[in-house]
Amino acid sequence: MPLLEVRDLEVEFPMRAGRLKALRGVGFSLDGGERLGIVGESGAGKSMAAYAILNLITEPGRISAGEISFDGTRLDTLDDEEMRHIRGNRIAMIFQDPMMTLNPVLTVGTQMVECLHAHRKMPEAEARALAIAKLREVAIPSPEQRFDAYPHELSGGLRQRVVIAIALLLDPAIIIADEPTTALDVTIQAEIMGLMIELCDNHRVGLILITHDLAVVSDVTQRMLVMYAGRVVEAGPTADVIDTPAHPYTIGLLHALPQKNEPGGMLNQIPGNMPSLAEVPTGCAFHPRCAHADARCKSELPQLRMVKERRVACHHAEALT
Amino acid sequence: MDILAFLIRRLGQACVVMLVISLIGFSIQDNLGDPLRELVGQSVSEEERKALRDRMGLNDPFFVQYARFLGKAVQGDLGTSYFFKKPALEVIFNKFPATFELVLSATLIIILVSVPVGIYCAINPKSLFSRFVMVISIAGISIPVFLTAIFLIYIFAIYLDWLPSYGRGITVDFGWWRTGFLTADGLLHLIMPAVALSSIMLPLFIRLIRGEMMEVLRTEYVRFAWAKGLAPRRVWLLHAFKNTLLPVITVGGVQIGTLIAYTILTETVFQWPGMGFLFLEAVNRVDTPLIIAYIIVVGLIFVVTNTLVDLIYTMVNPMVRIAGVKG
Amino acid sequence: MIAAVQRAIASDFFYQFRRDPVAVGSTLVLLVFVSLAVLAPLIATQNPYDPIQIDIMDSELPPVWQQGGDARFVFGTDPQGRDMWSTILYGTGVSLIIGIFAVMLQAVLGVTLGLMSGYIGGRLDSFLMRIADIQLSFSTLMVAIIVLAVFQAAFSAQLYADLAIIMLVLVIGIAEWPQYARTVRANVLAEKEKEYVDAARVIGLSRLRIMFRHILPNTLTPILVISTVQVANAIVAEAALSFLGLGMPVNQPSLGSLIRNGFDYILSGQWWITVIPSIVLIILILAINLLGDWLRDALNPKLYKET
Repeated sequence: MPLLEVRDLEVEFPMRAGRLKALRGVGFSLDGGERLGIVGESGAGKSMAAYAILNLITEPGRISAGEISFDGTRLDTLDDEEMRHIRGNRIAMIFQDPMMTLNPVLTVGTQMVECLHAHRKMPEAEARALAIAKLREVAIPSPEQRFDAYPHELSGGLRQRVVIAIALLLDPAIIIADEPTTALDVTIQAEIMGLMIELCDNHRVGLILITHDLAVVSDVTQRMLVMYAGRVVEAGPTADVIDTPAHPYTIGLLHALPQKNEPGGMLNQIPGNMPSLAEVPTGCAFHPRCAHADARCKSELPQLRMVKERRVACHHAEALT
Repeated sequence: MDILAFLIRRLGQACVVMLVISLIGFSIQDNLGDPLRELVGQSVSEEERKALRDRMGLNDPFFVQYARFLGKAVQGDLGTSYFFKKPALEVIFNKFPATFELVLSATLIIILVSVPVGIYCAINPKSLFSRFVMVISIAGISIPVFLTAIFLIYIFAIYLDWLPSYGRGITVDFGWWRTGFLTADGLLHLIMPAVALSSIMLPLFIRLIRGEMMEVLRTEYVRFAWAKGLAPRRVWLLHAFKNTLLPVITVGGVQIGTLIAYTILTETVFQWPGMGFLFLEAVNRVDTPLIIAYIIVVGLIFVVTNTLVDLIYTMVNPMVRIAGVKG
Repeated sequence: MIAAVQRAIASDFFYQFRRDPVAVGSTLVLLVFVSLAVLAPLIATQNPYDPIQIDIMDSELPPVWQQGGDARFVFGTDPQGRDMWSTILYGTGVSLIIGIFAVMLQAVLGVTLGLMSGYIGGRLDSFLMRIADIQLSFSTLMVAIIVLAVFQAAFSAQLYADLAIIMLVLVIGIAEWPQYARTVRANVLAEKEKEYVDAARVIGLSRLRIMFRHILPNTLTPILVISTVQVANAIVAEAALSFLGLGMPVNQPSLGSLIRNGFDYILSGQWWITVIPSIVLIILILAINLLGDWLRDALNPKLYKET
């Protein structure tokens, strides 16, 4: 049985304009120690899925349908106090920009130790030692001094290492990383990503990596999902999806990578833009931008089905591969 | 070490400001009223007047007189009140405890009420209580201090006859300090003036704390704190509130000046025998040395409190400190 | 001109305005006040500035609905025998005049200094901001009290009475310029980085022209928002100063001096001299504050609130 299972998840935002659906029936699963990538443009709903797992969606948004199960327990029906025990403890999360993630008026040490105290009973000295050990594990030099430092006194790369250390403090079963390297310099990105993979392997921690960067996904993850306008359009083993994409959107994404181009040629763009939450087209949300769209695509919502060892949500998947 | 450097720099600035204030004060004194008139009558000849002026050094050049003024000021001599016939500084200090206790009480009310209410309204902005507080606070801000004072007197002293309408009541002397805190009567007299004085600042701070905290609650780092599974109380009171404190301290510092101005109004309405009331009487009587002395004393109070506020701000905000050898 | 007005009425902004009862309500109240004040010479039953029309024998009469009231004086009379209704009308006018002119002075002074400080920067900027800081920390009211106290002690009572309005406008105007300067400066610093400023500079426009013709129009929104609240503050300041006896003299009543006048009589039961002008003052300020609050929310796209 998978460690984490998400089924038919729907998230909506009741607004003056009506009920906007940020997630329209998303499902995926994660086994222990597995690395899953979630890919899509901004606004596709990838972060929303992550927040939903930990019930951190900002009001007025809320989970309106679906199930989230972790290690046999339903997460979406837990009350606040029970959910609190899961967060940071069994499922940890890493956000995008470490400058914004760490509280500027508290020391690094305080922000680490409080996490320990929130979930375990331990004496102050032991907590401090544990925190410093974790800082050392994420390759932060002079961890004792960094412990008493404030976030603004550290560089971007160091800060993200601290955030990773915090995520690992309580030996969670799953880490959700939302664009963990986007805000960092390109040179540091590879280091951080490498560190994360190593730590996840060493501690047998499952990883859900949310990103828009296909290169990172292909290096790091074993399975991946592609999201578009609040739904999963393709899901399967990373190698398969990247090498032989089945959904027109995925095909378009891979074609659009600069590497795929002849030097001097025009970049391949997918025409149009992803629709906003308020204006999702009927039927398949991608049909206005798809060269293969027909009448069926405009009216009928394609469901995920198995085609060539991965799941695709497209009426014409067989024909295209 | 950094604190020391900061203090020295601020002290330097403070001295400059005090010099400017004393210069202004002195120029006013120079042009306002005639000390001679207070000392001798009308029927003194012009020559005798001139001789008297020479002897008193009143015909010396401006800066010589100013230097003399400064010299005496530093020793605590700011002239003698025409009305009280006592050193001006002494008269002011006698009234200082009354004003201090009033301001202290009002400040306590403001802090003890605005912080919890502000935090609650930020966490539950849509609750009935929060909406109610917001409506009341617009009303509170719109009613000037002296009107609140007058209405309080009208309702509680005249109509209901529950509270006394003027003065400090029975006080106890601690050496030079005359306090109203130690008697029930003194405390009763303190209630309305303190409430009136806090009446505008209170809604202001409630709105400020609520507004700032709501902004802070939307930040990524607060979201991260939730994601770590911290207890709600810790997230609200440590992670969120500590960040809210910073702009509140800044605004608070600026408002101290306004608070002191409001004491003049409040003391007038309640005939509270403090420095503000004294100042107004001095203006009516054209008691120049007292007027100048008050200006200088108030100036000093401003400078000291502003420096203190800045110091507190630096201590609370780690990003302002001069970075040590870390990171 | 007509086209501009038509455009304004059809605009989104006006639509939001029409739909909000608080905004419409407070504006109506304000319009009523302003019209009453402007029409004062016509609708007042008496000119409170004209000593000939006042009879000391009429003093301290209660409002018409209380026992002892006189039908000539609907709201009663003050200790000098002036009709309350007329005096309040004129007094509101005085408060509004001082409020508006003082704010205009603040705005002109503050915006100019703020523009210069923000655009030119450097030593001028540090110097001006230092002064602004110090002035802000001393609080407008305190500065106003001290300046007016000194002037009152220095000048004769008659001279002071003649100059009172001008003094009040000047003092309140000069005391509050830092508010405008700071806001405008913050905006200028942000706008300075934008491309249209570079474009203007490249064309060779003078600094003055860039500041006033190009940057200023883009900073108008916050200026407008502050101005409403500042008018309310100015009116309150004038009332407070008059209440202390440092503002309008007794024979040129404003709402503040009326309240002062009546305060001595409140203990002996003649409540109307203080209470009625107080209520008028509160309603006026409340209306301005509500409008200002609404304006700030309406003009600030950042604060797009959820339902």
